[in-house]
Formats: sequence, C-alpha cells, structure tokens
Amino acid sequence: MLSTYLVARRDYLGYVTAWGFWLGLLLTPVLLGIGILAPSLAASSQPTRYFTIIETGDEFTKAIRSELDSIAAELARTSLDPVATLQGEESERQQLFDEARQSGATTQEALDAAGGAPIELTLGDFVEVPPPARTAEALKPYLLGQQLIDTPEGPKPLFAALVVSEDGETIEYWSENLQSRALMDISRAAERKIAEERIFTAAGVSSRLLDDARDARRDVVAQRARPTSDAASSEVTLSDQAPFIVSIAMAFALWFLIFSVINYLLMGTIEERSNKIFDSLLTSVSLPSLLAGKLLAVLALALTLMAFWGIGSAAIGMFASQQLSPDFANNALTVLGAALHPSLIVPAVISFILGYLMYGSLFLALGSLCDTIQEAQTLMTPLIVLLMVPLFMLTFAISDAQSPIIEAMVWIPVFTPFLLILRMPTDPPMIEVFAQLGLMAVAAALILYLATRVYRAGAVHGAGVADVWAFFGKLIPGRKAES
Amino acid sequence: MSEARPLEMIGATKWFGNFRAVNALDFSVENGSIVGFLGPNGAGKSTSLRMALGVLSPDFGHSNLFGAPPSLTNLRRVGFLPEERGLYKKMTPRQTITYFARLKGLSNRDAKARADELLDMMGLGEFAKTRVSRLSKGMSQKVQILCALAHKPDFLILDEPFSGLDPVNQQALEALIVEEHQRGATIVFSTHVMEHAERLCQKIVMMARGRKVFDGTLDEAFTALGRAVKVGVANGFDLSQTLAPAGYSAEAEDGVWRVNLPQGRDAQDVLRLAINAGAPITSFVPEEARLRDVFVSLVSDAEAQDLADTLASDKEAA
Repeated sequence: MLSTYLVARRDYLGYVTAWGFWLGLLLTPVLLGIGILAPSLAASSQPTRYFTIIETGDEFTKAIRSELDSIAAELARTSLDPVATLQGEESERQQLFDEARQSGATTQEALDAAGGAPIELTLGDFVEVPPPARTAEALKPYLLGQQLIDTPEGPKPLFAALVVSEDGETIEYWSENLQSRALMDISRAAERKIAEERIFTAAGVSSRLLDDARDARRDVVAQRARPTSDAASSEVTLSDQAPFIVSIAMAFALWFLIFSVINYLLMGTIEERSNKIFDSLLTSVSLPSLLAGKLLAVLALALTLMAFWGIGSAAIGMFASQQLSPDFANNALTVLGAALHPSLIVPAVISFILGYLMYGSLFLALGSLCDTIQEAQTLMTPLIVLLMVPLFMLTFAISDAQSPIIEAMVWIPVFTPFLLILRMPTDPPMIEVFAQLGLMAVAAALILYLATRVYRAGAVHGAGVADVWAFFGKLIPGRKAES
Repeated sequence: MSEARPLEMIGATKWFGNFRAVNALDFSVENGSIVGFLGPNGAGKSTSLRMALGVLSPDFGHSNLFGAPPSLTNLRRVGFLPEERGLYKKMTPRQTITYFARLKGLSNRDAKARADELLDMMGLGEFAKTRVSRLSKGMSQKVQILCALAHKPDFLILDEPFSGLDPVNQQALEALIVEEHQRGATIVFSTHVMEHAERLCQKIVMMARGRKVFDGTLDEAFTALGRAVKVGVANGFDLSQTLAPAGYSAEAEDGVWRVNLPQGRDAQDVLRLAINAGAPITSFVPEEARLRDVFVSLVSDAEAQDLADTLASDKEAA
C-alpha cells in the first residue's frame, strides 16, 4: 500500500507541477466560455448594416419594418425575464409588456410599462435608409463600396438592397455579401405574411384569423404515469427531469474525465519507458502496485481538475442565481438531490471506477509500448474511435434515454460505464443492472489483467509498436506461414 | 546457522523468441564477497542479473536471493543499478534518491537525511536541488548509483557501473565499491572491462554467448591460464633442450623463448637453469597474467572476437 501511495504521490506531483497542467486547468473553462458566448458575442459585435428597399408602393417596406420591430420586441420581452423565457413560462412583467403591445404601444413604451430595466433598443443589426438610386444597376457601386451613403455613423457602404419589380411579381435581394443570410430570412418572413394576408383577404377571411387560431390552440401538457401508490401528482416537475439531466451530466463527466487525462497516462508511461527507469522501479515495487499507483495518480489529477471546475461553476451558478431568479437555489437543490439518490449515485460510482480502470489500464499498456508520442498516436486512433461512440450515444440519450440502441449497447462492457448511467433514470429491471455491472466488472478485470501483461512486455521486455502489429499480423490467416 | 547466500542461480535459462540469451547458468555469491560478472556485450550478463532479481522470469531453472525466490521482501536488502540508466528528468537528485529510498522502506525523514549524506559524500551537494535534466551525464550516473545505495543494502548488484564514466569517476566508483564492501555489503558487478575486476574482485564469473565459461577466484583464473616467462637469448641458443629435462616446455619466436611454467614452479627456477646452462640471456620478462587473456584462453575464436569488438566499440565511444 505504501509503495502504491509513493508511486501515486510522485506521479501526481510530477503532473501538477508541470506548467501544462495549469495551462489546461485555466484555459479549458476560458475556451469553453468563449465557445458558449461566441455566437452572442459575434452577434453583438456585428456592425450595423444599412439596407434600402425599392418598390412602387409600400406594402413590402411596411412588412419588413414590422418584422424588424417584432424582433426588437421579442428581445425586449426576453430581457424582462430571461429565466422564465428559457423555461417557456410567462412572467407577470412579460404579461404587462404583451398587454401594452396589444394596445398599440411601441416596444420602448411597452418596456417602460412593464417596468423593465432601461435597455438600449437599437434598430437592430439592420437599418433602413432611403434608396440612393432607383435601379439595381445604379445601386451596384454602393453595394460594392465604391460609393458611400450618408448614415448617422457617417458615410458607409450599402449592405443590401431589396428591389420589388414594378409589376410586383418578383423581389430581388442584392448584396455583395450573400453569406450573411439574416436580412434575406427577414425578407422572406415579411413576404410570407404579405402572401398570407393576400390569400386570406381574397378568401374573404380576416388575416387575424390565423393569429386567433394560434392563440386559441390548446397546450399539450406532459403528465407522468406513476404507480397509484405514489403520492405525487402526475404533473411533470423538475424532480422528474432532474435524474435525466444529472445522468447525462455524469456520463459526460466520466467521458470528459477519461478523455482529458489519457494524455497524462500516455505521456507519463512513455517518459518512463524512454527514461529506462522500469528496472529500478520493478526491483522496488511490485508491478500491480506500480500500475495502481499510476492509475490513482491520474485519477487524483482528474478529480483535481473536476473539483476546480466544479467549484468554479458552483460559484458562478450561485452568483447567477442571485442575479436571475430566487427559484434557482431550490432548483439546484432538486438536481443535487437527484444526483445523490442511491439508485443513481451507486451505479454511477461503480461505473466511474470500473470505466476509469478499463480505459486507464488500456492507455497505460499502450504507453508502455511506445518510445514517442508519435508511435502512440498510431495505436491511439482505434481507442479514440472507441471513446467517441459513447459520446454519440449521449446525444441519443438526451432525446430518448430508453432508445433501443442504448438498451442494446449498454451490454457491451466498454460502453457500459457511460450508458448504464444514462439508463438508470428510466428504472431498468434490477436484474439487468446487476448483470451489466457484473459483466463490466469481469471485463474490467480481464482488461486489467491483459494490460498488466502488455505493460510487462513493454516495460520489462522492451516490446514495441512493431510487436503489436506483428501480433495482429499473425492473426491474419496465411500471414504466419509467410513470415 | 550461517545466513543464506545473497544470490544463487541454478540452471537459469532464458530464451527470447528463438534466441537463447542465457543457458543453464549456475553460480552463487558468498556473503561479504565482491564478484565480477565478466564478458563481452551480448554475453547474457544483464539478462542473468535481471533474472537474479526477478525482473525477468527464467524459462528454466531459478534464482534465490538470501535463500528465497526474489520478492519485494528480500529485494529490500538489495540495491540495483540497471545497465540502462534512467532517472526522472524533472526531479532533483535529492527528490530522486529520497523517492527510491522510501520505496525501499526508509521513513521520509531518514530517506531525506540519507540523500543529503550521499550527495555530500559524492560531491553533489550543491546540485541537490537542481533538476536531473540539467546535470551532466556523469553526475546523473552518480545519482543513479546513489539511488541503489540509499537504503544501505546488504547486497549490491551493479550492471556495467563503470560504463559511461570518465577515468576519474571510474576510480571514484571503485573507491565507493570498496567502501561499501568495507561497510559489509556483498557486491556483484558486471563489466566487460576486466581490469576493474582484477583490482576489486575475489571471485569472477565469465560469460560468453549465454554460457558460463569460468567461475572461480582470481588465482584460479590465472592458474587456468597457465603462467609463462619470456626469455631472450643470443646466438640461436636452443633453450628448449636446456629446460625440457626439468619438465618445462618452450617455444621460440624471433629469438625470444616463451617458457610455460608448470604448477608449483616460478620464473626464478627458469632463470637459474638457463644461467647454469650458459645461455646468453639478453632479456628476461615474467608474463603478467591478465583476465582478458584468461577469457580468450577459455572461449572460442568467435567468442573472443565478441570481446574484442566490445572493447573496440568502447574506444570508439570514448
């Protein structure tokens, strides 16, 4: 035990004193945050774009203006209570906002009426300007930036022009930049409304009829079928959803843990192999203790990472809860309760341990066969592919944790650690759970045994990547005789 | 009851695929001795020592450390310097020695104290907190030797300890081996430079191409070689006729006679007989026996060539 601890301690300190560890620790959340915020940052940093409309009448122009106003109103409404909007609910202030809008108030007036915090309601990303010319041909120099238009920000190029033909039959969208499709989408939405209005009017029906129909629709309320002995009502609450949310988070955490630490396992073992230190170690510590120490060190490293990120996320969450909604803390407690429920936490912990053992020992064995990371990469590819499968399964589980493909693949031991966690909230038969846990334990023991043998072959006998290919080559019929 | 021998190998055989690296090796090491394990590269020395320690399992035969198969319990009494040198590059010498001492059972405090003591002893005190990656090759090698000594082992196994060291450090290492022996340690070291064994060992084991070719004391080795004296004579004097009646054999080459000395006779007897016979002696040189000659005399030409090749590659490396 002491030697296992000493090996684990040395390896752990070796990892955490490397600058790469701290770089990863600090950069990962930063990069993750940038990834999450990138779309909204990109949107908010987008410059105002000026467009013009050329048409004989003003039907299309009005429809475009109405669309842009609707977008601004939706933004203002969301800003009144983002949490309620996310949850698909409607707060009191949002109801006030809607009432004001229905009585003909502008967006800004409705926002004031609802007591919203003052927000800067720009005209959106797109600002309409009078047409500097009347034909598409004449507008080209403006669209290409060869000539500029007057704007409140000073002279600017024209971003786009919408040209409605004189007979009203066609609408052309002219722009030098056709990658940005937002204004085109707004134009199409405006035209759809005009067409609806026209058809309804022709049929002698008010166009309000469609809006009324939308408003009159009944909601389909999800109800959970529970045993009659269950005192809870059939209403679907966060308590019902929490186990699924937690199981997906746990499965992803296990996946992320394994994926984020395999490099450490690989690099550590490759370093020892290239340093030729195994003989000294193996006369001081048994091979199982050595492997156990290494696996523990990297597990501790992974837990350090997760603790750091977990505490950071919790702190941000608490801060956010104070800013956003008083119910946030209650919701967080509900989720925590689901996470700690024995039916989820016990299989999760077992899956966590066995999954880490399986994959950790595989990567240790792989590292023991390689002198360089380049060599390791040739062997890593199949394992990375293997690791990607559960990640795809996670996306299935989000929509349907009882998907037949998940129910089938959970029996494959290398996927069981991730998929069993995902299945637990669906209350699978206990006999199945025990069978899958047992199968996973047997597979983990087998992989550990084989990995130990490979590790010994690599570390002690100097077996390398070429020996692995030679081994697989012999399995191909006819190859042995040739060699 | 006397303590079990530090090492016994009985019929130890190791195959790597179709190649037999060690063939039925028998030898033992007595308590308190210094044993040289000699032979050219590829003779099977390292494989034998790795089998002795249990790092490799013999395919046939077995080895015992202190009367029992190798285990972590009896390995705690052993210090090992492997042939392939390796240290953790990011650790300091002090951390490294402490780590290995702790793995061998020393407490944290004792291990640190021992590391400091050894580093000072070897003149590495000022580098105690320098990363190993910044040390010279010689310094790194010293650190690794200190790792083997850190827990004051009863039995030291050093695989090619002199390789890679400059002459000054080789001398320092010889002194260290003597010091450890005086402390009471039994020592086995392998080398292909036989002069080290001549200076340090009471007993030697010679290996060639996986088989043991000699196992005995230095005296026995030189006896096996047979001693000789070279006598130069003038005027074509036939020394063989003079010495044959007394039981000596002699061969001439360029006016110099090489006279073999039978057991129990020495060079002075030859000189006396030659003078009495009136031989016109121009030179008289008793041959100094070398272990290299013993080795060459015991092995085939191909095996002798292995040693020549090994020594030649050493010179190239130097």
